[in-house]
Amino acid sequence: MLRNLLHDRRISVFSLVVGCLLTTLPSYLIAQANGRGSLTGKVSDASGGVVANATVTATSVGTGETRTVTTGTNGTYKFDLLPAGNYRVKFEAAGFKTAEILSATVNATETAVLDGKLEARDQVSSKPASQDNLPNAPSSSTKAPSLEDLGFTPAQTQGSLQDQARLDKRTHMLKIHQRLGLITLAPLVATFITSANAGGKNTNNTDRTVHMVLGAVSGDLYFMTAYYAIRAPKIPGTETRGPIRLHKAMAWIHGPGMILTPILGALAYNQRNNGEKVHGIASAHGPVAIVTGAAFGIAVASVSLKF
Amino acid sequence: MNRKILTAFLLLTLPAFGGADSQWVLEQCTLSYHVSHPLHSSEGVSHTARGKGVCHQGQCDFLIAVAVKSFDSGDSNRDIHMVQVTRGAQFPMVVVRTRLPETASATATIHADLEIQFAGQTAQYKQVAFELATQGNQTRISGTIPATLSDFKIDPPSLLAIPVKNEMPVRVDMTWHPQ
Repeated sequence: MLRNLLHDRRISVFSLVVGCLLTTLPSYLIAQANGRGSLTGKVSDASGGVVANATVTATSVGTGETRTVTTGTNGTYKFDLLPAGNYRVKFEAAGFKTAEILSATVNATETAVLDGKLEARDQVSSKPASQDNLPNAPSSSTKAPSLEDLGFTPAQTQGSLQDQARLDKRTHMLKIHQRLGLITLAPLVATFITSANAGGKNTNNTDRTVHMVLGAVSGDLYFMTAYYAIRAPKIPGTETRGPIRLHKAMAWIHGPGMILTPILGALAYNQRNNGEKVHGIASAHGPVAIVTGAAFGIAVASVSLKF
Repeated sequence: MNRKILTAFLLLTLPAFGGADSQWVLEQCTLSYHVSHPLHSSEGVSHTARGKGVCHQGQCDFLIAVAVKSFDSGDSNRDIHMVQVTRGAQFPMVVVRTRLPETASATATIHADLEIQFAGQTAQYKQVAFELATQGNQTRISGTIPATLSDFKIDPPSLLAIPVKNEMPVRVDMTWHPQ
């Protein structure tokens, strides 16, 4: 009787083991074959206490596929059959700031472990995180180095909202400068094209007027463009390097040229309208305009291929 | 005789097992970020990072910091623009923290969990691979941090209305020596 019972129990245990293997082995083999793995871990707060009901979201860096699980009462979570690859893992819980691990690798051969640390919501995100917030960091009683230990002074490490505002204003104004400069190119090119009809022997007053109006529009846009560059806040202690040097150097040519060209153009316009041949200083209108236009084109090109 | 040898051995090895405090100092460092655009790519380099590691009970806390404005791409206009988009005047430092076991210096490759503070944001990078090469008392560490602009909520600068790519890998090349 006893022997039969033991025999039956042995069979039961054997059946259970076989059953377990038959149940788990296929899914394990499927996971291996499909390149899938698991990701597990524990979510805790700054004091080390577990965080239950935290939402953990794993997003595949490669495919963008997202999976979400919730931590249990012991603060643990687990993703099963996760396609192998790199994941961004986000931890969220009520009363805590969202924490995100930007790169966690899941492979098919082992279960990846990734613990999450959540910081209470009332803390400022830009403040230096304590050493306890380092991912998977074991506890250490030693004093971690600080910026002062590295020899940085508070003046070097503390930012200035005023300086940032100055930089923001500078960028804003230079963006307008850049856009206006590109817009100016259109009437400027049109002015050059119409110059052929304005300056020849068989020209009429209309051609000259069209050329003059286009030139005036170019000049107006040009001076608006220049205004935003000249009035943009300067950043003290900055040494000018790179293509901006050429850009600024060209301004010394096209700036005076843009003042001189319309003056010479007005003289030439009057002479032609009076039936005279363009003569004297007015005959420099064309060459000055060409040099000015070329310098402006070089200035635009020198910075347009950089951001 | 054997007792003397044992005593000498214990005296020599015990401090190591006992986790005596030690420090590492960053001797040289080159950090370079790379940003790319369909029309153009650029690289900014800084050699002014400072760093220190404090070891205690077998664990070392490392801190590396560099001024945002110290990065030089060869174009002052772009550098100022980068400082602006990364809010470098408001948050002037890039601060990197990591904790490694003291024994890591004996391996050829380490996988470090990094916490990076930059542009007013804190991002964590898990298991970033770095190669180690030790020569004399100097340990050279090199690797690439797979940073992106969005990790730090930085609006990508644009050229001709096309923004630069989100990826901004940072190449790290450091030489440390124990103190």
